Amino acid sequence: MSVSLSKGGNISLSKEEPGLTSILIGLGWDTRMSDGADFDLDASAFLLGPGDRVRGDEDFIFYNNLRSSDGAVEHTGDNRTGAGDGDDEAIKVDLTRVPAGVQKIAVTVTIHEGEARRQSFGMVSNAFIRIVNDATGREISRYDLAEDASTETAMIFGEVYRHNGEWKFRAVGQGYKGGLGPLARNYGVHVG
Amino acid sequence: MAVSLTKGGNVSLSKEVPGLTAVSVGLGWDTRMTDGSAFDLDASVFLLGDGGKVGSDEDFVFYNNARGGGGAVVHQGDNRTGAGDGDDEVVMVSLDKIPAQVQRLSFAVTIHKADARRQNFGMVSNAFIRVVNAEGGAEIARYDLSEDASTETAMIFGEVYRSSGEWKFKAIGQGFAGGLGPLARSFGVNV
Repeated sequence: MSVSLSKGGNISLSKEEPGLTSILIGLGWDTRMSDGADFDLDASAFLLGPGDRVRGDEDFIFYNNLRSSDGAVEHTGDNRTGAGDGDDEAIKVDLTRVPAGVQKIAVTVTIHEGEARRQSFGMVSNAFIRIVNDATGREISRYDLAEDASTETAMIFGEVYRHNGEWKFRAVGQGYKGGLGPLARNYGVHVG
Repeated sequence: MAVSLTKGGNVSLSKEVPGLTAVSVGLGWDTRMTDGSAFDLDASVFLLGDGGKVGSDEDFVFYNNARGGGGAVVHQGDNRTGAGDGDDEVVMVSLDKIPAQVQRLSFAVTIHKADARRQNFGMVSNAFIRVVNAEGGAEIARYDLSEDASTETAMIFGEVYRSSGEWKFKAIGQGFAGGLGPLARSFGVNV
């Protein structure tokens, strides 16, 4: 039975799924019903060390950098319209290969060209993030983002992190102004 | 070696630190990096007698009443954003000066305007509370609020209490609905 989290809540993935080795982080949202440019939402993952900073730019996994150098994290590709049921974008994480120096993986979603297309998260319906046991396909936990009227174009959906020897997942759902560039810079990535 | 507390656990401060006379209870959290109102966490202390109630309103030490217990308990001031490393708010407690009729000191942490700002402890990064030996600065015990209290907005973190001539500390970690006002009232403070 998948555990549904509310904003701020957290759950131990290790306790829910003893022996868990790999997860698929699925993100989804509804396509636009009205006129206008499609919503192109992009999932990214930041592999964070101490101080919630990346160790280097290669720790920023996104549509132009799909795999981490150690093979622990793999982004399965860019969906540009949200078409299709279920997960629109997915990021796989082999928890056993995440380097010891990485304490937390922040999963974010940004609206591509959100400012130019005058789109924001307030216009996106049914956004969710879920954690699936990649070996069995079973959904472990899910966070459905509430429809807060939001003018942001970037959002931290959730975090997968180490705590006292376990892997845990936290529902964050907090917006970040400015988009992917400023968000990445905040985590210490050098953005051109 | 600081004792990392889990809910319900207790530790004897007197045994951990023989000769302990004063502690500082420190509260810390990270400033907000996402949009929205700052996280403003507030530490409070209730000096309780028999029956678990304050003797008077002066026994409620918080940002608007910095001294209690005849000066044995002193709140060092309100931090409204969490800016700065280490402890963001500190309450100094001189254990050897606590009035005899005070049996327990209950420490609470509340999020200011949590309902209006739609905030809870889980959204605050790295919120913790710790008990430090005021002499020398060694940390005695620590409790991680962001993990265990995640969807709460007010929590009774723990109690420092007398037991058979010793001072002990119990990690309570119990959420309290409604915020600081209702919490204070439950301890007998006229709010």
